[in-house]
Amino acid sequence: MPLLASVAVILCTAMVLIVWSVMGGFLNMLIGSGRTMTGDVIITWPNAGFAYYDELIADLKKEPLVEAAAPMIETFGLIALPDGRKETVTVRGIIGPEFAKVSKYNDILHWKPIKEPMPKDEFREDPRLGNIDRLSWSEIYDNGLNLRVKDKSGEYKPAMVMGIEASGFNYRTPEGFYQPATRRQAMPDGTFKLIDMFLPRDGKILLSLAPLDESGRVVEMVSRNFPIANEFQSGVYEVDERVVLIPLDVAQEMLHLHAAKRIPKANPAKESASVGPTVLPDPNQPETFPDIPSVANLIDDPARATHVLIRGKGDMESTEQAIALRKRCEAVYAAFAERHAHHVPAKESIRILTWEEQNETMIGAVKTETALLLVLFMIISLVAVFLILAIFWSMVAEKTKDIGVLRAVGASGAGVAGLWVMYGLAIGLVGSALGMVLAFTIVHNINPIHEWLGMKLGIVVWNPKVYYFTIIPNKVQLDTAIIVFVFGVLSSAIGALVPAVRAALMHPVRALRFE
Amino acid sequence: MSTAVANPSSSTPPAARAGASNAMSKPGADVALIVSNVYKTYRLGRVDVPVLRGVDLTVRQSEFVAILGASGSGKSTLLHLIGGLDRPDKPKAKSAPPTPKPNIAYQGRDITGMSARTLDRYRAQDAGFVFQFYHLLPELSVLQNVVIAGMVRWGWAYSARASQCKKQAAELLDHVGLSHRLRHKPTELSGGERQRVAIARALINQPSLLLADEPTGNLDRATGDTILDMILKIRRERNLTMLVVTHDEQTAARADRVVRLTDGKVASS
Repeated sequence: MPLLASVAVILCTAMVLIVWSVMGGFLNMLIGSGRTMTGDVIITWPNAGFAYYDELIADLKKEPLVEAAAPMIETFGLIALPDGRKETVTVRGIIGPEFAKVSKYNDILHWKPIKEPMPKDEFREDPRLGNIDRLSWSEIYDNGLNLRVKDKSGEYKPAMVMGIEASGFNYRTPEGFYQPATRRQAMPDGTFKLIDMFLPRDGKILLSLAPLDESGRVVEMVSRNFPIANEFQSGVYEVDERVVLIPLDVAQEMLHLHAAKRIPKANPAKESASVGPTVLPDPNQPETFPDIPSVANLIDDPARATHVLIRGKGDMESTEQAIALRKRCEAVYAAFAERHAHHVPAKESIRILTWEEQNETMIGAVKTETALLLVLFMIISLVAVFLILAIFWSMVAEKTKDIGVLRAVGASGAGVAGLWVMYGLAIGLVGSALGMVLAFTIVHNINPIHEWLGMKLGIVVWNPKVYYFTIIPNKVQLDTAIIVFVFGVLSSAIGALVPAVRAALMHPVRALRFE
Repeated sequence: MSTAVANPSSSTPPAARAGASNAMSKPGADVALIVSNVYKTYRLGRVDVPVLRGVDLTVRQSEFVAILGASGSGKSTLLHLIGGLDRPDKPKAKSAPPTPKPNIAYQGRDITGMSARTLDRYRAQDAGFVFQFYHLLPELSVLQNVVIAGMVRWGWAYSARASQCKKQAAELLDHVGLSHRLRHKPTELSGGERQRVAIARALINQPSLLLADEPTGNLDRATGDTILDMILKIRRERNLTMLVVTHDEQTAARADRVVRLTDGKVASS
């Protein structure tokens, strides 16, 4: 019976800790993923973009809380893949080295030289460990960082960096590394040649973007062929599947957000004066044409960016730190907007948000889901309390005579109750400790277990398309473990309390005569 | 109150018996236990079953009294009341004539009026119980079964006296001839050995009152005699006041005095 009670405690504590670790880890990964791709705070004026962003970035960099700031353009686009597929994607225009300062771009570029294989890659099959035709991994990595590739003439051309899942030409092996797909090409002699679809070597993607005019209409679709410089793996499935990166200046040009000379707008007062009944031209007068402004009259229209990404100093692990940074950025932007009144969005209009705030709905939903799951599992764990109660109840019944003996040698009712509560505590301590060990073992190995379940039984619980991340969180937080441990011990003691009171209230003589 | 008279069939030397008789004729300084007006009724379903109907008894210091009676005569109930395991009925104020106040006093202390805590202490320190069916804890070893009474007595303070307590338990077990069985479980012992463990447990806290409920009732004659000899030897060594409940005339014959219970009352003593 004590063994049964211990098993109940082990299973309950392990279950709660596993759920809490995985869901809590998922939440942390979600919140932390902001740092991977977008920094801590984002200043956004979507699609239209805002001018003088370089000046804003320079202002931001002067702030003691700001580590780095970088411009970005985000828009939607269409890519045509070598196998004929057309996919809609999120296109981000970045300056590679600047972007790397606010994000973990350096780390997430996938194709790079590595010295040690991944933990499960026993046979060193990761292509990054070997050589590659005509290129080196260092070169590919450098190309990715600067979003460029050298053409045949030796000149650098702007290039695209794709999410590792975007092309569909890479598959993730059970060992955890990516392998470029291969296709069979028929040869004239009737044989087949295997060609790997490694895009960073020869791949080209046609990207189409839709620049907008001031009224928001699509002016004309602009298409351009991009060689592929590298691919990135952020770990956020949705990003890896949907995002492609191109150089900022190219994105600006394609979207008509680059620096240019523009015709000044007509005087609104003059325009309003012309409002009235339509006057037909006099056929006896010579034909007139609107004024064409001379080059001297053209005005400079500065380049625009839709986003400025900001990275804070330090670990920025807490929400409060991110909010403090956001407030500082708001103050900087307010001063900037005042200097460029009527040329940049007003401080009341611009969106300045932390990553967590920007994804509030999604993060809130995950938080609610985590809390809900925890409540559900804690309710299930309450069953364990009743299970312990039932087990202890029958143990007390079984030990009635022993209770009588203890009372006969002088034990008080409270003393007897204390013994049972201590017994419950001991079972709680042992059960919870073993539960922690079990939970730690399962959480630590949750990805291999999940893969094994998928291979042997076809069960896929963690679908990356649903949970955003390609790997299941596998870390147990110490504070979480402590809470669950204490909860397990207390639950056992509470479960033992009612039977303990029963034992305390037993009449010694009746207990001794119990058959 | 019944007057204590030495049992003529007792094995106690006549001189001692005469002394005991004299002592009892002058209750006072050497009276250890006084029981008077003790009633006890148990409720079985809807029926009240009177077990003790006004017991009066006096026991001298170091006296060995055998309580003899038929099954259901209230012997064990009386022993439980004296040992503080149970309490006598409260006087019925509305009955005619009114029931007098019950009194059980050991060494001048009123057991019936003791608080639960004091009563627990009384059981732990002053009274030692030996039961017919030994009542050893099956999960514990022989040594642990004896030590547990010490643990109960000392409570939280036990840890400071643990080694002393264990040493004392081992000595007692050695005294009852079980030094070679210290690590054994009760199930590995014979009936006589189990009773010897129970005796050692009853004595670990050095009580002055030993209460034995049919200590030889579950044993064969030879073993029972051995156990009784042992109890008597220890009683002499420790100068214990002893009440033994029995329905066995031969056992009773070895007591200083025999008290016969019939229908819940002391019929003769």
